[in-house]
Amino acid sequence: MLITGIKSRPVYDRLQPLPGGRRHIIAGQGSGGRAMLRLLDEMTGLDGPITLLYSKESFSGQDFLTDLQRYPDHELRPYASNQALIDDLNDLLSAAHMGTRLYLAGSESFLGSAMQVATRFDLNRDEVLREHSGTLVRRVWCVHCDTYTENVTQRVYDCPGCSLTLVVRDHYSRRLAAFQAVKADAEVPGELPPAEELDT
Amino acid sequence: MSQNNGTLNLRVARIESVTPEIKRFTLVSPSGEHLPAFSGGSHVVVLVANPDKTLRNPYSLLSSPYDTSSYQIAVRRVDSGRGGSVALHDNVNEGDLIEVTPPVNLFPLIKQARLHLFIAGGVGITPVISQLEELRLSNVPFELHYAVRGEEHAQLGKELQATYGEQVHLYRKGVESRMEIGRILADRPLGSHVYVCGPDSMIDATLACARDLGWTESHVHYERFLEQSSGGEAFSFTLGRSGTTIEVSPDQTMLEAVEAAGFSMPYLCRGGACGHCETAVLELDGELLHTDDWLSDEDKASGKKIMPCVSRAQCNRLVIDL
Repeated sequence: MLITGIKSRPVYDRLQPLPGGRRHIIAGQGSGGRAMLRLLDEMTGLDGPITLLYSKESFSGQDFLTDLQRYPDHELRPYASNQALIDDLNDLLSAAHMGTRLYLAGSESFLGSAMQVATRFDLNRDEVLREHSGTLVRRVWCVHCDTYTENVTQRVYDCPGCSLTLVVRDHYSRRLAAFQAVKADAEVPGELPPAEELDT
Repeated sequence: MSQNNGTLNLRVARIESVTPEIKRFTLVSPSGEHLPAFSGGSHVVVLVANPDKTLRNPYSLLSSPYDTSSYQIAVRRVDSGRGGSVALHDNVNEGDLIEVTPPVNLFPLIKQARLHLFIAGGVGITPVISQLEELRLSNVPFELHYAVRGEEHAQLGKELQATYGEQVHLYRKGVESRMEIGRILADRPLGSHVYVCGPDSMIDATLACARDLGWTESHVHYERFLEQSSGGEAFSFTLGRSGTTIEVSPDQTMLEAVEAAGFSMPYLCRGGACGHCETAVLELDGELLHTDDWLSDEDKASGKKIMPCVSRAQCNRLVIDL
């Protein structure tokens, strides 16, 4: 339980139209574009304006921008990076009204960061859906130097911030949108847990 | 402060008339101790001892959660009711002892809210008063929209206006225009929460407006106060575990009939809201008359569950798992 077997990783949804919404914001990144397209088809005929936010930043290099441009009825905002999208999502939500529904699709890192914004605006589980796409590479937070490392795939890795050898725990923090990593040989110096591939 | 069976014996320190129908009771510990802590929106159940039976009436606390040297409740006199409120109005005097349960909160403030909107009608203002008291240490904005039947019913609203100023919108019948719930809820920022307490029509209108405007359930909170006249036809049912037959008189609830027969069962709100008294139906020959806000429509249709604090039955035979 110290390292593995902790059930704090969010259970993600499948995007589908949320009933009763008066305005829909669909935000995605990389291969999450596929879920956005599927959702758009399911939302045909639904009331309320739809705003599309899409970031081309992708771990696997998938790009659905051209496909999303085939929906000229909906405002489409493209971004070069996930961070730029998330900053704009923050501005969009700060001006939005009750009745808004938010749909997120992309990597776990993207979903977690976007949920930090959604939570700031008190959007609840009945107003937001999150669909994970791609691999489950982890965003990891070092408890010692506060460095976040993206795309971690190994149980044991060296922190680029403080150079300590860390072990990635299965403890996911929604507040930090990251898994927690701690010094790997803190109990017995030199004794490292087995290096293993994470369940990506 | 003596406690028996978990209830508090409190002294009535003060009784004030605040409208032609509402009296405000201030309750303190006879020994001067602080009372159990509570949060805004909480209620207590007052045990009203009548000659033939003890009535249990829930009342919201309207004093400040930050000052537990006393509790305040507001009792609206309902002449057509079962007699609990009339007994409190006519038979209880300053200095008397009354028995109440410790506070329970089924109508709490949402701590993550970015805007609180309160909609209240008449005596439904009572839980909101302690909620507003709790918000005094918060920077989250709020508005209160409060409708009353006329100037002589407006004292609590005017007290709130004096305390909170323009955040309190009072709608006195014949003085101000009618409350428009749709306008109150329209174009509100994300993270708004609405809390409504008042007559059923006001609650239902708020739920409908919120749904039309796309508000989700997690942002809409309501508390119904039972019209204490809401009885029904007499009927009887059987406790499955002991085989005891319980007669329910027209002015009694199933829960009260169980208690009158000397049994106890779990309860909190006695208003069909909290789910605490949910009981399985083992046998039914007839129809359940569900009046609670707890069971889903499917549960109600299934005939397998009942909320004995409010619901009744029209039946030849009913056996519940108790």
